[in-house]
Amino acid sequence: MNLAVRMRGIGKSFGAVRALDEVHLEVEAGTIHALVGENGAGKTTLMRILYGAIHATDGTFEVKGQPAKFRNSAGAIRAGIGMVSQHYSIIPDLSCLDNLMLGAEPGWTIDKRVAEQRATELAQRMGFEFDWSAEASTLSPAGAQKLEILKLLWRKAEIMILDEPTAMLSPADSDALYGSLKQLVADGATVIVVTHRLPEVMQHCRDVTVLRGGKFITAKPVAETNPAELAELIVGHAMPAPSVRSVPDNAEDLLRVVNLTVAGHRGDDAVKSATFALHKGEVVGIAGVDGSGQRELFQALMGTSKLRHGEIILGNWSLHEHSIAERLRMGLRLIPEDRHEEGVIEEWSLELNAALGLQRFPPLAVGTIVNDEARHQAANEMARRFNTKHGGIRQPMSSLSGGNQQRFVAGRALFLTPRLILAFQPARGLDIDATRHVYDGIYEECEKGAGALVVSFDLDELLQFCDRIIVMNGGVVTQPNSRDRAVIGRHMVGVAS
Amino acid sequence: MNDLRLLLEGTVILGTPLILAAIGGYFSERSGVINIALEGKMLIATITVWLVTIATGQPVIGVAAGIGASILFSMFHWLLTQRYSLDPIVSGMAINAIAFGAANFLDKRFTDPDQAGFPKLPLMAFWVFALVLPFLVWLYVRHTRGGLRLLAVGSDPEKARQMGVFPQRTRLMALIATGVLCGLAGALIVSNAGSYVDNMTAGRGFIALAALILGGWRPLPTLAACIAFGFFYQLQIQLQGTQVLGISAPRELWLCLPYIATLVALAGLLGRNRTPAGLGKP
Repeated sequence: MNLAVRMRGIGKSFGAVRALDEVHLEVEAGTIHALVGENGAGKTTLMRILYGAIHATDGTFEVKGQPAKFRNSAGAIRAGIGMVSQHYSIIPDLSCLDNLMLGAEPGWTIDKRVAEQRATELAQRMGFEFDWSAEASTLSPAGAQKLEILKLLWRKAEIMILDEPTAMLSPADSDALYGSLKQLVADGATVIVVTHRLPEVMQHCRDVTVLRGGKFITAKPVAETNPAELAELIVGHAMPAPSVRSVPDNAEDLLRVVNLTVAGHRGDDAVKSATFALHKGEVVGIAGVDGSGQRELFQALMGTSKLRHGEIILGNWSLHEHSIAERLRMGLRLIPEDRHEEGVIEEWSLELNAALGLQRFPPLAVGTIVNDEARHQAANEMARRFNTKHGGIRQPMSSLSGGNQQRFVAGRALFLTPRLILAFQPARGLDIDATRHVYDGIYEECEKGAGALVVSFDLDELLQFCDRIIVMNGGVVTQPNSRDRAVIGRHMVGVAS
Repeated sequence: MNDLRLLLEGTVILGTPLILAAIGGYFSERSGVINIALEGKMLIATITVWLVTIATGQPVIGVAAGIGASILFSMFHWLLTQRYSLDPIVSGMAINAIAFGAANFLDKRFTDPDQAGFPKLPLMAFWVFALVLPFLVWLYVRHTRGGLRLLAVGSDPEKARQMGVFPQRTRLMALIATGVLCGLAGALIVSNAGSYVDNMTAGRGFIALAALILGGWRPLPTLAACIAFGFFYQLQIQLQGTQVLGISAPRELWLCLPYIATLVALAGLLGRNRTPAGLGKP
C-alpha cells in the first residue's frame, strides 16, 4: 500500500477541551478518501492539523512517506498539500486571476497575460471556463468551488483536502464536482473529502474513516460497508425510526405570499414574483443553492427589507403593512442564518439574550417593565428545550460553542407559541440527534396550529424533515410536483420543464 | 500671468506633501491597518530632518534621519496594533500625541535661535517623485506579488493566511513604506518652509488621510484629491482680501473653500468608494 498520508495518535486540546484524542488516518495515494463524522467530531480540526493551520498537541504524521511537521500552511503547501475550507478562501474583492495566484505567484513581478494563459490552460484541462479579470464576488457557489480546485492545481497540490465541498452545491453541481475529482485522482492526485453526506461517500469514495466525539472509530473500504452501518458508526447508536407525522390534508392557508418581489443588495430583484402558500400545521422546505433569494425572502417576511411589490398574508392580516414589532406580536419567529451576527449578542448573558425579540411580550414584560424573574425562567426553559450545554444562565453567550448557541436560538424561537416559524438552516452546527430534536420541536408547534418555512442548502435534510418542498432558483419560486431528488435538483438549477 | 504661475507653484508646494503622506497612508490602510497617525509621523520627521541637517550640515543625512524616525514610529504602530492587538485608533492617537510632545521638546531643547541658513535637497526632486509616485504604486499593486498580497491582506487577512500569506509580515512591510513616505512628506514640508516652526505639519496628516478616503483608497484618485486640495488652498490664499463679484468675503469663509471645493469637485467624479474589507481586522 502506498500511503499519501499517515497520521498516528493525533491529539489536540483547546484549553481544557479535548477536541481530538488518539486519532489515526491513513490515506492511500491516488484515491478519494472520505472523512465522516458529526458536527464537532473533529474532522475539520484533524484536517487543519494536516494543513499546518493549527498544531497537534500529540501524535505524528507522515506525508508521502516522509515525516512531516508543518509550522504553518505555507509549509504544508510546499509539501504538496492543499485545502479547500468549507467557507471558501476566495477573497471577493480580488479578481478570479488574483485569487488563483495569491500565495503562489509566479514571481516578484506578475505578467498578467502569461498568468492568464496558464490559468486558462489549467481550466481547460478540467473543462472549466472563467472570466479571469472578473471580480470573484460575481462567482456562483459552484464557480467558487471550481476556482478553489484550480487554486489547488495552480499550487501543484498532490494531496487535496476538501471540507464539505458540496455543502453549497446543487445535486447536479455536486456530481460534476466528483467527476472532476475522479479525473484528478486518475491523474495521480489524492483527495480527502470531509463530509456528512453518506450517499456521496457510498457513490464516490474508496475508503472511509469515521470520527466521533474527537475519537477514531473505524476505517474501512466503502465497498465493505453500507449507509445504515455508517450512520450508526457516526452517531454511536442505532438510528431511531423517523417520527411519524400526519399533516391535515385540507388545512386552511396560514401564509399566502402573492407576487412578491424583493430588491437584493445590488439593486436587482432578488425575489421575483414569488407566489406560494403554507398551510396550518405544515413544514415547508425551501430548497435551492446559496444566494437564490432565500435570504431576501426571509427578510421580506420578517420586515427587515422592503417589498418592491406583492403581498404577504398571514391568517387575515396583511403582514407587509405591519412593523417588525407587530409581526413578532402576531407570532413570527426567526431562527436566523448567522447566529453570531443576527441571532444573539455574544457579550450578553444567556438570560439577556433570552428576551431578544420577545422583550415586549408577557410574561417577559409587564407593561414596559422587564420581569427579571420571568426572563430568568424563560432562559432556563429555552436552554433546557434542546439541551444547550452552558456554564450558567448568567454566563455570556460567547462562552457557548456554535452548536449550543444554535440550540438556544432554536429554543427561543419556539418559546411563547409561535404562529409562523422561519428557520434558516436550523440544523447548522448541530449533530444528528440535535437536528432531530429541533425538527421535533417545530413539529410540536405545528400540531398546535403553527406553520414553518425552512431554508436549507442540504436537500437531503429537507427531504427528510419537510412535508413539502418548494424551490428557489435565481429568485424564482417553483413548486416541483414530486419529492424525487433528481426532479428537485433540476428545479434548483432551473432546467425543470 | 504672474498670478497663474503663483497658483501653479502654490498647488505643487501645498499638494506634494499631501500626496506623499496620503500614499503613505495608502500602504497602511490597504494592508488593513487603520492609520490616523500620518500626522505624528510627518511631525516627528520634520523636527528630525531640521535638527540632524543642521547638526551635520548634510541634508541627505538629515532627510535619512527624518525617514528613520518616521519608520520607527510606524513600526511602533505595527507593534501595538498587530502584536498587542491594541485598537488602531488608540494607537494612532498615542503616536500623534507622542510625536507632538517629542517634536516640541526637541525643538525647545536643541534649536539654536540664532540659526541662519538651512541646507536642503532640491525641492524639484521631491516634487517630481511625489507626482510620479501614485503611478508607480498603481503599477506596483497590479503587477507584483507584493502588491497582490497587500490588497489580499487588507481585504481578508484570515483567508490570505490560509493561502500561505503572512498578514503580519505584509503589514509590517506596508507600515515601513508608510513610514518612508511620511518621512519624505515631513522632509518636504520643512524644506519648503526653510525653517522649523512649532507644530508645522498643522493637521496636514489628517488632510492626507481624508484625501486617501475621498480617493477611495486608490492611488490615482488620491493623487487627484491631493492636487485639488492644494489648488483650492492656494486659490483661497490668492483670493483672500480681494473682491469677488463685488463682495469681499471674510477670511474665515475663504479658509473653508479648499475643503468644500475639494469635496464637491471630487464627490461626483470619483464614483463609488469601497473601503478595504479587512480594514481594522486583526
